[in-house]
Amino acid sequence: MNKTYQLINRCIEFMLIAIFALLVLDVLWQVFGRYVLNQSFSFTEEFARFALIWLSILGAAYLSGKREHLTMDFLIKKLTPQKRKRRMQIIEILMFLFALIVMVVGGGNLVYTTLYLGQVSPAMNISLGFVYAIVPLSGLLMMFYAIYNINFYQYQKVEG
Amino acid sequence: MSIEIISIILLFVSFFGLLLYGVPVAFCIGISTTLVIGLNIAFVPGITTVSQRMTTGIDSFALLAIPFFVLAGELMNRGGIANRLINFAKSLMGSLPGGLAYVNILAAMLFGAISGSAVAAASAIGSVMTERMEDEGYPRPLSAALNITSSTTGLLIPPSNVLIVYALASGGAASVASLFIAGYLPGLLVGVALMIVAAIISRKHDIKQGEKTSVKKLFSDFRKAFLSLLMLVIIVGGIVKGIFTATEAAAVAVLYALILGFSYKTISLKDLPSILLSSAKTTAIVMFLICTSMAMSWLFSFESIPQLMTGFLLDTVSNPIMIFILINLTLLIVGTFMDMTPAILIFTPIFLPVVTALGMDPVHFGIIMVLNLCIGLCTPPVGTLLFVGSGVAKISVSEVIKPLIPFIAAMVGVLMLITFFEGISLWLPRLFGL
Repeated sequence: MNKTYQLINRCIEFMLIAIFALLVLDVLWQVFGRYVLNQSFSFTEEFARFALIWLSILGAAYLSGKREHLTMDFLIKKLTPQKRKRRMQIIEILMFLFALIVMVVGGGNLVYTTLYLGQVSPAMNISLGFVYAIVPLSGLLMMFYAIYNINFYQYQKVEG
Repeated sequence: MSIEIISIILLFVSFFGLLLYGVPVAFCIGISTTLVIGLNIAFVPGITTVSQRMTTGIDSFALLAIPFFVLAGELMNRGGIANRLINFAKSLMGSLPGGLAYVNILAAMLFGAISGSAVAAASAIGSVMTERMEDEGYPRPLSAALNITSSTTGLLIPPSNVLIVYALASGGAASVASLFIAGYLPGLLVGVALMIVAAIISRKHDIKQGEKTSVKKLFSDFRKAFLSLLMLVIIVGGIVKGIFTATEAAAVAVLYALILGFSYKTISLKDLPSILLSSAKTTAIVMFLICTSMAMSWLFSFESIPQLMTGFLLDTVSNPIMIFILINLTLLIVGTFMDMTPAILIFTPIFLPVVTALGMDPVHFGIIMVLNLCIGLCTPPVGTLLFVGSGVAKISVSEVIKPLIPFIAAMVGVLMLITFFEGISLWLPRLFGL
């Protein structure tokens, strides 16, 4: 499980870095095109918006794995280590359920409907279903991370 | 009870319950929204709507400014601007009596504006200034209190990501450009108010007089800081003049920071992947909050919560001044335990219709809201800046609380001024016709 965790992390890291770099180049190209070449490209803005969706939602899955989402944890810090472990596991279960129900089932249905209706983006002419596919994909990753984290808390050494 | 009232109660109880239980904020928003939508519409369309709102809610070119400002700030930060800004602030104000206090405030303002992150400002400036101020006779808790409160000014002085988040939450009622320009005077005013408090307090302590700076040194320190400060001019000038959008300005800022880092040799190509990854993480924290908040704000309008809130407040409290004070008090309390971005995303759709019904400009309200929530960043139990600031000063949080009080009081004073004198926020945007 640990190996899979590391592997998935490396893959997501690579994708996040690549998407972010492309995003910067894309918008700089748009500015360059408009002010230097005097021409605007229809695809740059659309690509940037879709890349932001991927960066945000895939990034959210990555944060789940690293347990780095913004959390108000001042009450948890006051619990005894044993109680804190239980609490953290219950929180991971809640995140698992959200990822499963909303992101995988709800998001999967969204992708299915969009593909079924054949909606395509105006400029790049790609199916919106592929853009939305990041939701169920990230949902699956979050579910994996939740299981990993529950396991992690279970065998974590309890500090005094 | 009608279904709307039950929905509202369920929404807020489940949200705050999950929040205090320790569920990550973005998930608290998502889970409570899903529960309430499940109460109102059928299950499968409900969850599909939530995931759809999460995706289409961030499908916006304007929001792209956020990752770019984060990246530009990170690049500037690694490029070691903190020392250059501190040296510049020092040769400008260091020779005044109690001058290091002003240096800390000015450096935090400049750093906060350039890096766009109050936390980065508190840690970068604080880690350098605490030692220097101790040498001149400032007790550590005092300099930490100063550093914590002055770091908030960077959130008002543009470019500022929280103002972009507000622009989004306002549903386009306030533009990023006018919010950016509106932030200048209130940000400066907070800085000046903090300097006045620092001047009064430092009289009570035995503080050494700083040495005089020669004009030559001032000029050379300014030259070193100039290229970093120029970034602010490029961004804000470009946006105000309408040369580029906030997003394009932010992308240009990334390019500028990159060129600066390479030419100062503080950044190499090898560093880029790790800088991109850490910026991607910071971006995802904010963006995923926006995702689930967009689902929640869809639910707000589905339940007509803004209208209900407006009707309720206007019926029960007849005096507009009382309503402004009431809203400020609510936000102050919310700010003590909730971080700024989720607070803006959740409370803007609820309060903005109320204040606009009373004739307040959405830009003005945005500035009030950000300054108000800045105060919460400095106070327990959840004060991100409080923890970072006392951490870099290597003292406990409880030691900072007492010296913090006069500075917080000054911020509350400025908040009241800004609430009741709209000109402080709106004069500049009107001057530029925004």
